[in-house]
Amino acid sequence: MSNQQPETRDQYPHFMTLQTRWMDNDIYGHINNVTYYSYFDTVVNSFLIDEGGFDPQGDKVIGVAVETMCSFKKSIAFPDPIDAGLRVGKLGRTSVRYEVGIFRGDEAEASASGYFVHVFVDRATNQPVPIPRSFHAAFERILVTD
Amino acid sequence: MGGSISDPAAQNRENFPYRMQIPTRWGDNDMLCHVNNVAYFRYFEAIVVRFQMQEAGVDWLNDPISPQAVESVCRFHRPLSFPETVEAGLRVERIGNSSVTFALALFGEDGATPAATGHFVHVFVDGDTLKSQPIPEAKRKIFEKFS
Repeated sequence: MSNQQPETRDQYPHFMTLQTRWMDNDIYGHINNVTYYSYFDTVVNSFLIDEGGFDPQGDKVIGVAVETMCSFKKSIAFPDPIDAGLRVGKLGRTSVRYEVGIFRGDEAEASASGYFVHVFVDRATNQPVPIPRSFHAAFERILVTD
Repeated sequence: MGGSISDPAAQNRENFPYRMQIPTRWGDNDMLCHVNNVAYFRYFEAIVVRFQMQEAGVDWLNDPISPQAVESVCRFHRPLSFPETVEAGLRVERIGNSSVTFALALFGEDGATPAATGHFVHVFVDGDTLKSQPIPEAKRKIFEKFS
């Protein structure tokens, strides 16, 4: 369990606004924990498509998730809007570690935060390959190191 | 206790005393033709919640003190794909004062070692105040049985 301070907006260079949906709430009336990973998946892949030129159906190189984590601090509930903050925390030769913060409405502190590691592989052989140049350039733009 | 969860080769079904079969669904696959990473957490959730209800006796709506998710992690070792049936495995990894950590694994139809491993942390909280509370004694005994 993480005892770290909540993440704040100024730690993220890229944001995407998402609308929570009715079905995201569970029986407690707040966003179900699994759904946060869908927000992670959405901000990461939107970034790859919009900023890196990713073509999910045509590209020979794809990102495969190898590890994801989320720490849940405060609850969110439909119909809250959320902002998903994104930065790159580590940029390797074949892999990238995205760090994501989920902010409720215009709150300054994240309700949840975590990471998502992509390894880039050849779609046909499934073997790791260097990060494509257009992705790498996009990652450099949101790279934040301590 | 089986080896580290970061070493999937050291894990097999017998390292997880509580198991359940989960059929994948067509909608679990994404456009890269694998089960999407988010669905793995849905499988983790299914086995954790089923364990909490059937073994630990959690009544989500009526218990004054109930478990709340505070952290989860998944490491993806091999792809899963519809229509295979996943065997999910759970053991209790750590019992704290108010929290319990489950070690989890998902096995595909093809192998003895997991396609994914991870963990899931539940904290027991008071339903009204949302403050953490000691794990109820009867539930603690069940967790010890599966550790």
